[in-house]
Formats: sequence, C-alpha cells, structure tokens
Amino acid sequence: MTNLATVPVSRLGSPASAPAIEPRRRWLKPAPDSMPRQRRRPRIVYAAVAIGGIAIIALAQLLLTIGLSDGAYQVSAQQSKLKDLSRTNQALSEQLTALSSPQNLVQNAQTLGMVANGNTVYLRLSDGAVLGSPTPASAANAPIAADQALVPNSLLQPDPVVAAPVPDVSSAPPTAAPDPSVPWQGALPSPQTH
Amino acid sequence: MTIAVLIIVAVVSVFCVRLVDIQIVQADSLNATSLASRSDSTVTLGTRGDIVDANGVVLATSILRYAIEADPSAVAEFDRPAADGSGDVKVSADQAIGELASVMGLDPAVITAIVTADPTSRYAQISKSVDVSTYNAIRALDIPWLYYKADQSRTYPDGSVAGNLVGFVGADGTALAGTELTQNACLAGSDGSEVTETGEDGVAIPGSTVTLKKAVDGGKVQLTINSDLQYFAQEALAQRVTEVGAESGTVVVTEAKTGKILTAAEYPTVDPNNIDATDPAYRGAKVFSDPFEPGSTFKSITAASLIDAGAATPASQVLAPYEYKSGDAVIHDSFYHPDMRWTLTGVIEQSSNTGISMLSNNMSVDQRWDYMNKFHLGKPTEVGFVGEDSGDILPGGVSGPTQLDDQTVYNTTFGQGLTVTAVQMASAYQAIANNGVRMPVQLFEGCRHDDGTVTDAPAPSTGEQVISPQAAQDTVHMMESVATTGYAADALKIPGYRVSAKTGTAEMSNGSGAYGGAYLTSMAGMAPSDDPQYVVSVTIRKPVTITSGLAAAPVFQKVLSQVLKTYRVQPSTVPAPNLPTTY
Repeated sequence: MTNLATVPVSRLGSPASAPAIEPRRRWLKPAPDSMPRQRRRPRIVYAAVAIGGIAIIALAQLLLTIGLSDGAYQVSAQQSKLKDLSRTNQALSEQLTALSSPQNLVQNAQTLGMVANGNTVYLRLSDGAVLGSPTPASAANAPIAADQALVPNSLLQPDPVVAAPVPDVSSAPPTAAPDPSVPWQGALPSPQTH
Repeated sequence: MTIAVLIIVAVVSVFCVRLVDIQIVQADSLNATSLASRSDSTVTLGTRGDIVDANGVVLATSILRYAIEADPSAVAEFDRPAADGSGDVKVSADQAIGELASVMGLDPAVITAIVTADPTSRYAQISKSVDVSTYNAIRALDIPWLYYKADQSRTYPDGSVAGNLVGFVGADGTALAGTELTQNACLAGSDGSEVTETGEDGVAIPGSTVTLKKAVDGGKVQLTINSDLQYFAQEALAQRVTEVGAESGTVVVTEAKTGKILTAAEYPTVDPNNIDATDPAYRGAKVFSDPFEPGSTFKSITAASLIDAGAATPASQVLAPYEYKSGDAVIHDSFYHPDMRWTLTGVIEQSSNTGISMLSNNMSVDQRWDYMNKFHLGKPTEVGFVGEDSGDILPGGVSGPTQLDDQTVYNTTFGQGLTVTAVQMASAYQAIANNGVRMPVQLFEGCRHDDGTVTDAPAPSTGEQVISPQAAQDTVHMMESVATTGYAADALKIPGYRVSAKTGTAEMSNGSGAYGGAYLTSMAGMAPSDDPQYVVSVTIRKPVTITSGLAAAPVFQKVLSQVLKTYRVQPSTVPAPNLPTTY
C-alpha cells in the first residue's frame, strides 16, 4: 500500500498548458524476483562440503588412533622382547666375567698341563741377540702354584669350568728329548718406525 | 507451538547444566579419579656404578636379581595350556609348588610352609633374590599366584682378587667397606620414577609417559690396580704365609715415577661375594688401616735423611759394637759380633742397629723428625681410604720429638718405637726411588660418569722434593749391597736386573708395653737400581719357621720379577757400583 499522496495539479498558478489530472500512479513496484532458485543452490553444497569434511576428519582421526593403538601394542611387545634379551644378556655376561677371572684361567691352564715360566728371557730385535738363558718351564720352577683355596672366587663354586685334562705324557713311549733352542727361520722382523 | 519451544528449551537447559557441571565444576576430581585408575607409576632403577682396574677389568658390577613373592590368598588350582596344545591342563597348588621347588632348588615343604602360613594374606616372600636364569625358568612355569620384583645386586667377578680394596655391600645394598664405601658418592645411582597411563590390558598408551624424576646411574670408579699382578701377589704372599706358619702378610707395589699403587695385596683377603667365609678382622684393607712397627726397613729412611742433611755419606765410618749405650738407652744388634769397622753402606747391608744409632747422633732429633714429616709419615696418605690409619711417629702422645725418652729416640732410627702403615712405607721408598721426589699416593683415577665427564680425579702434581736426588741415589746404591752381598742376597737375585732392597725383622709389641717373642719380617726395595721404576714392599706378620727377612724375601723376589716382566722393564746395562761396606 502506498502512502504517497498524489498531488493534484492546481488550477491557480499553473503554467499555460495545464495538464489534465493524471490517474493515481503506483511509484513503487515489487522487485522482480528474477533468480531465487540459483541463490538457494550454494547453501546445500556448502553444507554438504562442511559435513563431508567433518566426516572425513573424523574418519582420519579414527584411523590414526587405531594405528597409534596398534603401534602401542607393537611397542609393548618389542619392549618385553627387549627386556627378555637384556636378561639373557645379563645372565651370559655374568657367566663370562666369572669365567674370565684369574682363578678360572689359571685352573684351566693347569689342567691343560701349562706351567708358568719364571725365567725371563729377552729377544733384542735390532740384532737378534738373546739376553738371558732360555730354560723350559718346569713345575718345580714355576713362580706360583695356583691354589684355589688361598685366593678363592665363590662365583666359580661349586666347580670351576675346567677343560678336559691332558693325558699323562709320562706313560707314552719315550721320544727323543726335543732340542730346547728353536732356531729362527728367515729374516728377523724389524720394527716399522718412522 | 509455544509449549514445544518451552519443552525444547527445558531439555536443552538440563543438558547445559549437566555439561557445565561435568566439564567445569567436577572437572578436577573426575580427571584425578580417571587418571588414578589408568595410570601406573614405576620406579626406574639407577644402576650403581662399576669398579674397574687400571686396564678396565671389571672388579665390581651391578646385576639384576629378582624377589619371588606369592599371593597366599590366591594359591589354588589353575589352568595351564597343555604342552602339546590340546587344551588346558589343571595344575594343583601342590604340583605347582613342587615344580617351583625343583626349579629353585628348595625343599617343597619350605615353600608350602611360607605360602600356607597366613592364607588370608596377600603377600608372602618365597625368595629374596634369584638369578636371571632361575627367574626365567620360574616364569616359564606360568604360575598365576606368583609375583616378581626386580632389584639390583652386586657381583664381584674376580672374587677375592683385590677384595680388600674393592670392599663389599650389605644385603640391602648399602656400602660397608673398601672402595664401595670410600667412593660411595660416586658409585651410588639415584632411582627415578615415571607415571604411564595404561589401558585395561596393561599396554601403555603411547605418549602418556611422564617422567617425574629421571633415574641417574652411578659413575664408574677406576683404580690404579693391575688385577693380574694383584692376583699373582696375593697367591705368592698367601703361599709363603702358610708355608712359614705366619698370621698374615701384605704386599704393596707402587710405580716409582707416579706414586700409583699397582698392587696392595694382603692375606687373608675377603671375597666380597662371600663375606662370611672370612674372619671379621680381615674384612678390611689392612694395608691402609693396620699400623705396625716397621723395623730395619726404616733404616733406609734414616740413612737418606742423614745423607741429605749432610750428616753422613755412604762412606761414613763407624766402629759398630754389638751393644751401644747412650744415656738411658741400650741398643743391641740382632747377631753377636765384635766391634766392626763399617761404613754407612755396611751398616745398611748388615742391618746394624748400633751402627745406625751412632751415626744418627750427627743429626738433631728435631731434624730427624722433620724428615719423617717430609716423608709424610704420621699422617694419612692422600688416598683417603675408609678406615685409613695415620701411623704414629710420636708415641705416647708427646707434642714433640724432644720429649721422647732416649731409648725411643734411638729405637726410631731402626724402625721400632714408631708405627707406619704398609702403604706409607711403600710411599717413603717411592720417594727414595724417584730421585727424592715424593709423589702423592694414588689409588683412584677418578669418577667417570655416563656422559663422559670425569670428576674427583686427583689433581696432577709434580710431587715434593723430600731429599736431594744425590741422597736418594746414594741410598738406592747402598741398598743394592743388601741384594748383592747381604745375607738374603741369594734369595733376592733377579737375573738381568740390579735390585735394591732392605730386610727388616721387627719385634712386635705384646700389647702391654713390652716386646713379646713375635716378629714382623719385611722386605722393601726397588728395581732396576740404575733407574728405579717399581717399588715393592712386603711384610709377613708372626712367621714361625723363619723369623728373619728371609721369610719375606722369596715373595719380594717373585713379585718384583713379575712386575718387571709385566711392564717389560729393560734389563740393567750399567754394572752395580759396589760401594765399600767396611773400611
């Protein structure tokens, strides 16, 4: 409804050509609704994209969480494996260090028939001179006899790991006594110095 | 329409109120409850540091042990998967106990007693510590009512080798003796704690571990000891001590140029793995803690002081009687002889008490004590070992040497009437061997931490000139006569090397102010005499079959030979000077 008052043209003071009274005009017309449908379409697309995006993000997060949890189980399994291996490592290291102790080495050496030689002889490399008189080691001249009771190692109890004893040589048929001096073959190695 | 709106608004507002209540009002308490139910706090152990020798050989290390605990209220029959995979097998409690007993090497009745003592209890300890292989075997049994707790324990791979120096820890892990105690601040680790959130099945939720406190591992202590040489010295000493029926003995080997202790052996020695096997009196390090009257080995120190003060030379002459009296003092030699025309060299070679007493008159009492202080006697060495004794050069608690009676004043010239420790004697001989420069005694190289930093390393020192180089060399040459022409010469010969040594036979106090019939024999010296590298000092306490320095001589010779061999010392090329012993 228009409120505009129509202004009738007055007879007095009017220009020569007095126009006739025009019929009431409607100045306002409703705007032509030319494109309603085209404007509605973006609203659905945007909504679909937004909801689709949310769904994808949720899905991705779900997949990541599943992967992470699966990884947690793998980590746990690996850690428990690592613990087991560390324990095995430790048990073996303990055995190794006990076997490397001097008491065990000397015990094994003696069982193999080895005798320490207290006689020190030097070989001078510059001219091949032998300083001292080489003598074969004999049990009588050994500097010490390894007596387990005197310097004990309770880690080797009850029995230290001992190599198979060497069969008694004295029962074998006597052979010619070997020449104690071993002649050097070839050229002496000379020290590489700069 | 308005009613629907109102209903919707009402429902939504109820939800809003509930939301605010949960998310804001009760948030903290709900979070705490949830965290408490899924978080798992664990203690991360800080490992105690290792003790190693000069070459890195491990002398003490930490290992894991497990405590086996049971839940008595849960001891019952359980199911176990059959070995051939054909379903579950029912295992009764007794059968499980039997299997457990056979794995642990215990009597099943013992385990049954522990487990049935209080059937309502949730905790009973079956074993305080089992080793790793036993633990694995027990776990393989898959008994559901057993619980395991990991704990650190200490092991000493070399047993009693250097046991006196390394020390030991108690059952609860506290250090009780030796390096374990002396260097505890370095060795001790500190436990950490961390909190992890876990799922229902115990698997940790990734990224949820919070370290409340980081575990710190202990540092590694390196000793200057050579463990192979220590083993050799311990064996040689132990064999000789048992051979002569003695009570105990010590061997100390130091490097002349640096003052580092390469061997500090004693017999008996504790095996830190098995402390109870040794008498409590011998569980420490007597090389540091047991002072004794050194006897004639002290004469070298007196002679060195005399020469440095200009009061005598190796050729100084003295007409030495068997008995010498001066003031209230009466001094005898150890063997009867007519008046002998000896030089200072001869006095040293023959170990004449009267000779050295008479020559000491050329020095004032204060001067002699000055030298003793310079040799660092009467005070503890720089090592700072736990229980270390300082020795006593002013017996009776007197404030100065001038207050000592005449007898004590003369007795100290030949090493009676004052006390020293084995390490102090070795250190004094080290000064004589090193051209008069005394190096601080060193046993510890320092504390090496996990990140590579080294703390507590002894400050590098150029040493202290105690006597002049000439006085030191003269003393070494005089002592050489003991090894070439003295009564123990045959026992001291090391082919290819010039050896200097001094014998000693000290009378031991009977504990009530007088000397009893027991002796402390000793031998101290260095080699090679042309440029001494190593000092060896041996003592044997209360020998029965041989009561002279000959008791200690074989140990001295064997240990010194082994030292020279180990460190590839070149044989001597310059012949001995053979200073005159008589005039």
